Amino acid sequence: MSAGGNDGTATRPADPTAEEEGPSQAGSSLPAVELPRKRKGDVEERQSLDFQMDDDLSRSEGEDQQVKMKCFREPHSQIEKRRRDKMNNLIDELAAMIPACQPMARKLDKLTVLRKAVQHLKTLKAGTSSAFTDTTYKPSILPHDDLRQLLLRAADGFLLVVSCDRAKILFTSESVSKILHFSRLELTGQSLFDFVHHKDINKVKEQLASSELYPRQRLIDAATGVQVQADSPVRPSHLTTGARRSFFCRMKHSRVAGKHEDKPSLLITSKKKDTYKYCTLHCTGYMRSWPSSQLDSEGDTEKETSNLTCLVTVCRLLPHTSHQPSKDVNVKPAEFVTRCAIDGKFTFVDQRATTVIGYLPQEILGTSCYEYFHQDDLQQLAEKHRQALRSKEKIETQCYKFKTKYGVYVSLQSQWFSFTNPWTKEVEFIVSLNRVISGPAHTKDEEAGSSKALQEDAKQIPIIPSLSSGVGTMIYAGSIGTQIANELIDTYSRMNSSPSSGAPSPFGPAQEKGPLVSPPTSRSASSREEAAGSSSQSHSDSGTAAGASSAASESTGEPSQLDFDSMVVPGLSSFSSDEAAMAVIMSLLETDVNMGQSGDFGDLHWPF
Amino acid sequence: MTADKEKRRAISREAARRRRRVESDVFGDLSRLLPLQPSVRAHLDKPSVIRLTLSYIRTHTLLKGRTGTKTEVSHAVKYAEVKEGGEDRPECDEEKETEEVEASDESNMYLRILEGFLMVLSTEGDMIFLSDNVSKYMGLTQTELMGHNIFEFTHPCDHEEIRSNLRLTAEEVWRGAKRDFVMRIKSALTHRGRSANLKSATWKVLHCQGRAKVCVGPSSVSCLLLTCQPLPLSHTLLSTHTFTSQHSMDMRFTHCDQRVTALLGYGPEELLGRSIYDLCHTLDTSCLTKNHLNLCLKTQSVSGQYRMLVKGGGYVWVESHSAVIPSVRPSKSRPGAHQPLCILCVTYVLSGVEQPSLQLSLDQTVHRYLR
Repeated sequence: MSAGGNDGTATRPADPTAEEEGPSQAGSSLPAVELPRKRKGDVEERQSLDFQMDDDLSRSEGEDQQVKMKCFREPHSQIEKRRRDKMNNLIDELAAMIPACQPMARKLDKLTVLRKAVQHLKTLKAGTSSAFTDTTYKPSILPHDDLRQLLLRAADGFLLVVSCDRAKILFTSESVSKILHFSRLELTGQSLFDFVHHKDINKVKEQLASSELYPRQRLIDAATGVQVQADSPVRPSHLTTGARRSFFCRMKHSRVAGKHEDKPSLLITSKKKDTYKYCTLHCTGYMRSWPSSQLDSEGDTEKETSNLTCLVTVCRLLPHTSHQPSKDVNVKPAEFVTRCAIDGKFTFVDQRATTVIGYLPQEILGTSCYEYFHQDDLQQLAEKHRQALRSKEKIETQCYKFKTKYGVYVSLQSQWFSFTNPWTKEVEFIVSLNRVISGPAHTKDEEAGSSKALQEDAKQIPIIPSLSSGVGTMIYAGSIGTQIANELIDTYSRMNSSPSSGAPSPFGPAQEKGPLVSPPTSRSASSREEAAGSSSQSHSDSGTAAGASSAASESTGEPSQLDFDSMVVPGLSSFSSDEAAMAVIMSLLETDVNMGQSGDFGDLHWPF
Repeated sequence: MTADKEKRRAISREAARRRRRVESDVFGDLSRLLPLQPSVRAHLDKPSVIRLTLSYIRTHTLLKGRTGTKTEVSHAVKYAEVKEGGEDRPECDEEKETEEVEASDESNMYLRILEGFLMVLSTEGDMIFLSDNVSKYMGLTQTELMGHNIFEFTHPCDHEEIRSNLRLTAEEVWRGAKRDFVMRIKSALTHRGRSANLKSATWKVLHCQGRAKVCVGPSSVSCLLLTCQPLPLSHTLLSTHTFTSQHSMDMRFTHCDQRVTALLGYGPEELLGRSIYDLCHTLDTSCLTKNHLNLCLKTQSVSGQYRMLVKGGGYVWVESHSAVIPSVRPSKSRPGAHQPLCILCVTYVLSGVEQPSLQLSLDQTVHRYLR
């Protein structure tokens, strides 16, 4: 087998002396297997067979290295078969790409396909003149022009070269017209500050500064991640050539009619006089200096040997839509967003709320939402509150009445969604999307419906004692939320203190979809030292702890939550959730960072 | 009889040899037509030749569909000398050569500025084209990688996300829909930056941004054009409008540098223990969540733009680049334990304070009243 023998050979054309299909080839098991096949007389198979042998003998880098390793563990015939199949697939793909091979009814043989490929490449190159055959030039697969175009298109950006002393725009690429809607001519020679948002001018000035008078370079220490102030005066060369820059700035773009759908209009700042819009750009690049004699003279002839320093950057448009909330948080008029702590106290109120409820945000922040709910609705809203805390789904409330500043009630309908911290898996707050429902008819039905519900549930929920009384309701209403929150917190602490069980499916229905490994809740750090045993067990532990905390339910009578109860079987394992947390982290690191090699975290490649 | 058999065998052996020679010649012809350096060409095996030919054809098909200008169409595969630093070249008689050289310099400069490489992905995940600086980031050369499928080189847990990014509807393709995601790719680079064997590869986190592209031809081909940049961030920071912070894994602040005061109004000590989710606009919760998840799973992330609330009222638009690193401070209570992880964030403030009198969150009101 050529595995041992031919490491040194580079490629070579069919070497008549080296290849030998007879059994006389030393050390090769190939002929013993292949001989019977050769007698079949199948042209293609024989060809590919011979090819395989050539392949054996003409190794190169890449996958063949691995194949060499493998041959010690697998029968050679398997390897050969795989290689043959691969080659055949490649030939088929090639045939599919070549127009000359398309209309053929029957499958072409390998040699013909290859020949046609050669012809095709020749025509590709002939159609575009290429006058250079000088071998000192470095060829490239893609014409540089095209590469540049592709790059800028992918990056949605343009090249910008700006002089450092006066911020004069020396050069931009064509693509600037697509992004800023100014032509190259309009920009070249102008001062950059004419186009940058006035509040960002200082920022840009600092970036352009290349002298030591601005000792603001901060570096991050690779080992510790802490910033290090450059104590020593920075060498000029460090600042002039090669020093990297990366910053964001807002630039004007002209209000030319055109495709604006993918234009970020985050920061529509209309200044008093000009009504320009600004777009945010991420500029990355580096400083570069040229001898000034090379550039067009701009009057800088006093110093013959002065270097002109420039900032060369690519400015990319920020993809503002990619991380924005999707359609389900689509905000329409007469809607506003609020955020509450788990006990229902407002911690964030969208300014649009004011037109609906009359209160300014600061007037209701910190108060419990229950103080504004109509007493008839308290029951169902408390129920929904409980549900929201325990579910990952969006909970829709029915219509309910919200007391406005002026005493009048407005009908709202809300969508509640609890936010769970991805790391701790605990609910941190509830986001509420509130919609105004207009029409008096609703209130009538609501009153009838909710009072009935009230009577039914009054017995079952003893924690809202004084619901039916008048003024007393307002005083106790806030405590409803607190109580519901406390239920949840108790659940958490219960799960944390008692060891979790080995539930069958770690990632049950309570988990989100997606390749998530859910670390469990673990606040106390004391048991981190004791690493868990097998990671699979700890996976199930962690999954259970996570599943339990997000799906734990009291006996609220919700039928769907009984399923979760059965998941959290009170059988115990010896691992606490903290050990499980540690084990999960370790296994995460092992698989992610070192691809199977065991190692400590120091191996994490942090090329700062 | 045996002599006859022997003779027949010898004849068939000769025939086989001839066939092989012919085939190798054709492979040689093919590889010579590919724009590769001779040293690279010498080491190519036959599957690689086909793989690269396929890529070459596909790349050209891709570009054919563009409404290229005359200069683009007339320029073939370019041969240009690459010089470091890009200093001026002597004036050439050949105008075309100058253009080409400039183009090559420019595109190399672009690649250097971008600090990343260009990748063209088919909707099945085949890496149709990679710019040649990919070796700097992955340790594998352009010729080794082109034509292969990206799923062979990326972390299995990210495949789902990659697949969903590759899914393109016709409408999305036509308007050049954007893509922005983070994925882990194999890197055969050692710490010192040399290429090692793929078997000892580590995972490298790449931030991929780009858009869809289609070319109309005999068969419409749609693909993704992506620039792939490794995280983490650039190592130089400038002081204005940027601050760094450290967080525990649940995104609560554990440390913050002084600059945050000028930008957000909070003193660093005020932020300790507070969750970043509390300090941001509610509508950006999902953006932050996605960022957080990326951090937990892939250890590095770039958030999109989101709003951070300013003390006392209003908000600013920011973007954060973050990574998971071992915690800076030595663990006090657990000597000898594995270092706990923490999140390091560099936050760029993009805008000024918007609507400074608007109070949206609870603590904005508190600070105002306590003044």
